[in-house]
Amino acid sequence: MKNDEIRMSEKESLELIASMINTAKNRVGETGTLYLLWGWLILFCCIVQFIAVHFFNYSNSYYIWFSTWILLIYQFFYIGKQQKFNKVKTYTGEINGFVWLVFFICLMLVIFIGTYLKRYEIINPMILVLYGMPTFLSGIILKFKSLIIGGICCWLLSILSVFIPGDYQLLLTAAAIIAGWIIPGYLLKKNYKKADNGI
Amino acid sequence: MEFKELDPILHSQLRLAVMSLLISVKEAEFTFLKEKTNATSGNLSVQISKLKEAGYIEIIKQFNNNYPQTICKITPEGIIAFENYVKALQSYMTL
Repeated sequence: MKNDEIRMSEKESLELIASMINTAKNRVGETGTLYLLWGWLILFCCIVQFIAVHFFNYSNSYYIWFSTWILLIYQFFYIGKQQKFNKVKTYTGEINGFVWLVFFICLMLVIFIGTYLKRYEIINPMILVLYGMPTFLSGIILKFKSLIIGGICCWLLSILSVFIPGDYQLLLTAAAIIAGWIIPGYLLKKNYKKADNGI
Repeated sequence: MEFKELDPILHSQLRLAVMSLLISVKEAEFTFLKEKTNATSGNLSVQISKLKEAGYIEIIKQFNNNYPQTICKITPEGIIAFENYVKALQSYMTL
């Protein structure tokens, strides 16, 4: 755009508005990195705990989950670094961030309440319910179908978990993570790379 | 039929492009606006100053890792002006 005083017809003005709004709107900007990092770590934790409990009857296997705190610390640095490079802040990005914050708070509360009341059997199904919430909402916000499907899968698996005995529930969590985070994570990554090359 | 007058501040290609970009996001860096509008830094600088003088946008200058950064944000007045501009355009188009 060279001369700012170029006279525009009404039609040209409306076309310019539509094209600029689309330019800004199409920036999903979601790289899928955090979905993949969390997805693979949780999948790893689920499988390790399942093997430890099912085959070796090792009761302290839940220690593996402390590894998630390391990723949580890394995530704070990662988000901080990302924000420095982001040239634009969108409303959808902000809302999406809050959705994941609410998920984290609810997750911590469910784990605390379940552990404190010694209702361990309810923790896994409730976690599956919670996994579905941010996954589904992110899918709606980002208009990304595979996240919506992933969220629904988490909820279906949460119903199934009621009928499945204790340690096998870990495999359901693993399946939920594959459907909800890992597959959408790779698809988001693919889309991001495609959009990046297109600019 | 009564014609609504087109706001002269917005009825300019680059200023309208900047306002259209800013209405869709929460805030954007100067470099983002430059990249999306294909304008030169000098021209864009002049035009965003005009939008600021009209009270349509807010400009925040800050430092990020010792580098100066200019962030632009649409104001509530800017949103009203943009909406009125679109309504005025529509009144012309429905003729």
